[in-house]
Amino acid sequence: MRISRFGNSSPRVLSLLLGTSMLVSAASLPGRLQAQEVAPITIVINQSPWFEGFRCIVETYEDETGNVVELDVNPFAGSLEKQRNSVRAADGLYDILIMNSGWYSEMYHGGFVTPITDIDPSFELDPAVDSNDDTVYFDAATGSSDPESGKLMSMPIAPLIPLLMYREDLYEEYGLEVPETFEDLLNNAQALHNPPERYGIVQRGARGPHTVAYDFYPYLYGHGGKIFADQNSGDFTVTLNSPKGKQALDYYIQLAAEAGHPNTASLDQAEVIQAMVTGKAGHIMTVIAAWPQMDDPNKSIVVDKVNLTVPPHAPGYPSAPAFGHWLGGISHNVPEERKQAAVEFFKWYQTPESQIKFAECGGVPVSLAAYDSEISNEREFRWMAPMKKGLPLAVNIYTFPEAAEVIAILELELNRAIAGETSTAVALNTMAEQIHEVMQRYGYRTGMLEPLAE
Amino acid sequence: MATSEIRGIDEPAAGVKTGPASANLQDEASWRWLTLSPTVIVFALLTILPLANMLYMSFFNVGWAQGSMVLTPVGLQNYRDIWGDNLFLAGIRNTLIFVVAATSAEMVLGFGLALFCSRITRGRTFYRAVFILPILIPGIVIGAIWKLMYNFDFGIINQLIGIVSIPAQDWLGQYETALLSVIIVDIWHWTPFCFLLLLASIEGLPQDVYEAAKIDGASFWQELFRITLPMMWPAILVTFVFRMIVAFKVFDEVFLLTSGGPGTATEVVSFTIYQRFFTEDRIGFGSALSVVTIFIVLMLLVLTLSARKRRKAGA
Repeated sequence: MRISRFGNSSPRVLSLLLGTSMLVSAASLPGRLQAQEVAPITIVINQSPWFEGFRCIVETYEDETGNVVELDVNPFAGSLEKQRNSVRAADGLYDILIMNSGWYSEMYHGGFVTPITDIDPSFELDPAVDSNDDTVYFDAATGSSDPESGKLMSMPIAPLIPLLMYREDLYEEYGLEVPETFEDLLNNAQALHNPPERYGIVQRGARGPHTVAYDFYPYLYGHGGKIFADQNSGDFTVTLNSPKGKQALDYYIQLAAEAGHPNTASLDQAEVIQAMVTGKAGHIMTVIAAWPQMDDPNKSIVVDKVNLTVPPHAPGYPSAPAFGHWLGGISHNVPEERKQAAVEFFKWYQTPESQIKFAECGGVPVSLAAYDSEISNEREFRWMAPMKKGLPLAVNIYTFPEAAEVIAILELELNRAIAGETSTAVALNTMAEQIHEVMQRYGYRTGMLEPLAE
Repeated sequence: MATSEIRGIDEPAAGVKTGPASANLQDEASWRWLTLSPTVIVFALLTILPLANMLYMSFFNVGWAQGSMVLTPVGLQNYRDIWGDNLFLAGIRNTLIFVVAATSAEMVLGFGLALFCSRITRGRTFYRAVFILPILIPGIVIGAIWKLMYNFDFGIINQLIGIVSIPAQDWLGQYETALLSVIIVDIWHWTPFCFLLLLASIEGLPQDVYEAAKIDGASFWQELFRITLPMMWPAILVTFVFRMIVAFKVFDEVFLLTSGGPGTATEVVSFTIYQRFFTEDRIGFGSALSVVTIFIVLMLLVLTLSARKRRKAGA
């Protein structure tokens, strides 16, 4: 496997050379490797905490099949730009696009990925594989993620969701119960709040590409709030500024004020994780991909002291972790043999054996087979039980390609509310109004609620 | 022999037939144009074509369907939308504050350091090396250095002010301090640029004027205000214009330190364009923002240069 990071001048040539060398090696060492069966493929992917697990599973794939995979590894935003440039060209550079929940819809709507079943009609998603709130399906006629009318567009790669990480050792010391509701969380966070040595909870309130908004979703949806009425049925009425939305934002700010970091409005994900691994946080709600750092003795002083649970919720509503997942799509503008080779990789990737291996490698599996396997009982894999519980509850926040504009609005106004520049009612009304304008501009069926009293 | 000298001597009167010498000159001019024109054409195309393309795209909305680009003409709508874009308007305001504050401070500090370096006799090389160090550091490293220094919990700045019992500040997270904090980073980063240009200018000043002033008993301040500054005015203006234009393009410091926050406290024009054009993929609107930004920079340039002309005319 060849890995090119943050720059790639001629991956096709190099992968061909590598492919040739693999063939020569296989021929000269019979039995060690099978002959290469499919064309080499290139996967464009982001550099994130779960990448090492993916690299490991790709190596296993190469070892087992003799097929060649090249990884083009990039920062988050860089990966998106490379994907856009590749799919908009006459000939694509990348065969598999590892797409984030924030931009997979752009790729579907733009016609940039080929449905997997158009390439291989016999392909079926393994029943144990989570469909990530059906985001792997797409009905081009309605623009919805309908598994009945839509086609299978992608393969789940990493089903990332946020989980509540808490200091298990302190819970035992203070005699606390694992929180179920938001009220429990507030009480527990207050009990562990001892600033500046330790904050009860550290939240991610900074304005960024998808920072404070992503942190806020479990609070919003866990209070029964929503951004839109029903995206999948095409109803984009903006419901963010409902009383439930206000409850959620009021709670988020109350949590920060009474048990959180004094500078919540300026903290991003790295600082939140840093607070936990340095022992300065009693709780953090962060994406599961950050988990390996908690038990890494080179990065953490709280090794084996942190445990996880699904995000709390308001009484009467389910826990609602928001998907920040990654899907693998096959580029529309690459040769047919490479599309076939990409499907072969997906077929192998979704098998229970591969998924268990992926977990052992440090990845977050997409198959329930891994979550039900023996390893899930081991202390090292204690994150698997809450993941298994959280995945069916997880919500996909956006199904339309202009989501980045809505996220930008949320990032700004949520940050202002958390910083105390505006009231929660003003922030929610402003966001709703601006989101409504965006949806109107693009011709969606939309509407607005009555503004909240300010 | 200089061309101007030849022209001065051989330039023919109107209506006078030209002889072999002027024919040679015409040949020479033609030859000069012929040899230079490919470079000029390529350079002009490389400059004009991208700008023309951006201007063209600013009149469209760009979408994608079935893997192909879909251009929808919208006339001046993208330009009209700019005035409703609160992020861009906040960016303009902050960028202007940033440009004025950072450039002024960098000019004053750069000039002071240049004066200092030109006056000392021992350790000049050492001081020069130290003063230009920040400009050699990559922007990403500068972001990391200052992000650590401004950190609320363990940043060195809060630790230092803690010694004198001043409470810790969230330098990058408070409205009152965020933009100022970014300006300070820019000053630290770019003062060496002003220092280098102004030092070169100071060292090029004629020493006999200073010797004459010394004989006349001029003080340091008299030398500074009556000799150094007036003679350096062209260099100061050029440095100021260069810095102003570069400061207007500030992006990396904001991107790395604050992402434009808190709220819009550190939003700058380049960051808004990045957000609209790249993150949101609004190519038409992003192009319109870019065109307006280029226009504003040109206006600043014209204003500065006309101020210079007025000063020259008044002198």
